[in-house]
Amino acid sequence: MKQGFLAALTGLGLLLTAWPAMAHHSFAAEYDSNNLITLTGVITRVDWTNPHMYIHIDVKDAGGKVSSWSLEGYPPNTLKRTGFARASLKEGDTITITAYKSKDGSNTGAGREVTFSDGSKKFAGPEGR
Amino acid sequence: MSARIASFAITAAALIALPAAAPGQGRGGDKAPAQPVVHKPIPRAADGKPDLTGTWQGGGVSITGEAGAPPLHPLPPIDPHPIRREPLAYKPEFEAKRKSLTTLDDPTLQCLLPGVPRIQTMPMPLEIVQTPKEVVILHEAFRAWRRIPINDKLTHPDDLVPTWMGDSVGRWDGDTFVVDTIGFNDKSWIAGNGTIHSEKMHVVERYTLNNDGSLSWEATVEDPVVLTKPYVTGATLRAPIDVRIEEYECIENNPDPAHMKKAAELDKSNK
Repeated sequence: MKQGFLAALTGLGLLLTAWPAMAHHSFAAEYDSNNLITLTGVITRVDWTNPHMYIHIDVKDAGGKVSSWSLEGYPPNTLKRTGFARASLKEGDTITITAYKSKDGSNTGAGREVTFSDGSKKFAGPEGR
Repeated sequence: MSARIASFAITAAALIALPAAAPGQGRGGDKAPAQPVVHKPIPRAADGKPDLTGTWQGGGVSITGEAGAPPLHPLPPIDPHPIRREPLAYKPEFEAKRKSLTTLDDPTLQCLLPGVPRIQTMPMPLEIVQTPKEVVILHEAFRAWRRIPINDKLTHPDDLVPTWMGDSVGRWDGDTFVVDTIGFNDKSWIAGNGTIHSEKMHVVERYTLNNDGSLSWEATVEDPVVLTKPYVTGATLRAPIDVRIEEYECIENNPDPAHMKKAAELDKSNK
């Protein structure tokens, strides 16, 4: 029964993302994997820090009101090894980023896919789980 | 709770399945032609022992890739290496304590050392440095390090004080490097959520090079205080291409505990 369950998971292709994606905390306790939002905004700061990097963006709504968001990503070393160029995130650039919204109600989330101004895309963080 | 069990099971599935993962395999659907597994004699040190020296990694997106983003340097295929596993079995009084703990209690959330064997399951590389007298493991994750002096009787110093990573000694059992670790504190977790142990935890690891370039790792965890039988886990480590261990100062910028605490409070007030 248990083996069947594991085999089923493997069959679903989960094996590639199932090794702990984050070294130091659980995803589900902080972020809602069922609430993937899309934000477009101007980069105000990038923290190349551990245990996670953070992209800070200002997002303007339809009425012109600006709200500031902070999106978590993989550690800098991991991003380097997945080919996420540090130079690709510059203050003042406009990006679109998908993110799993934080469960604490704040303007934070687990960043997933960044779309750069030239249309190219790159994952900044793991798939929700 | 079921989510926790599922998460644990998924991790377990990964540990089982990872070695069989072919390069570029994933949900993106890859029809790359299967490459043959290349076999060659395992590397040996000047003293004739298998040479474990090098950078190794068990998992993580940088070597496995993910849906829509294959790894920059796909690893060559390897043979399947079955992994022996025995589940965690807690005495009833400790099972209750274990269940009362949540991910908010996880020491690694505060950037504290994961202990052994958990350090081996972090999604980052480690480097093994082997000499005839000592094996050293440098982990990128949590900047952990382990000194493993080699002595055939596996004698530990008699002045141990409890620590997160314990005291390790090693010996060669044929071509397998056996590591015996005691002297733990009771603060780290064995595997995942709430998997507590006592200061009496005893971990025996076996490191064996395979002739397909991979490294098999198995850990047996005994704890006469909290467990009813040994817990056994393992993984197949790969030599990641163009990777060296680098700094990971976890405490640098860690807003996660505060977010999680607030999320838990909100969750509670909504019930």
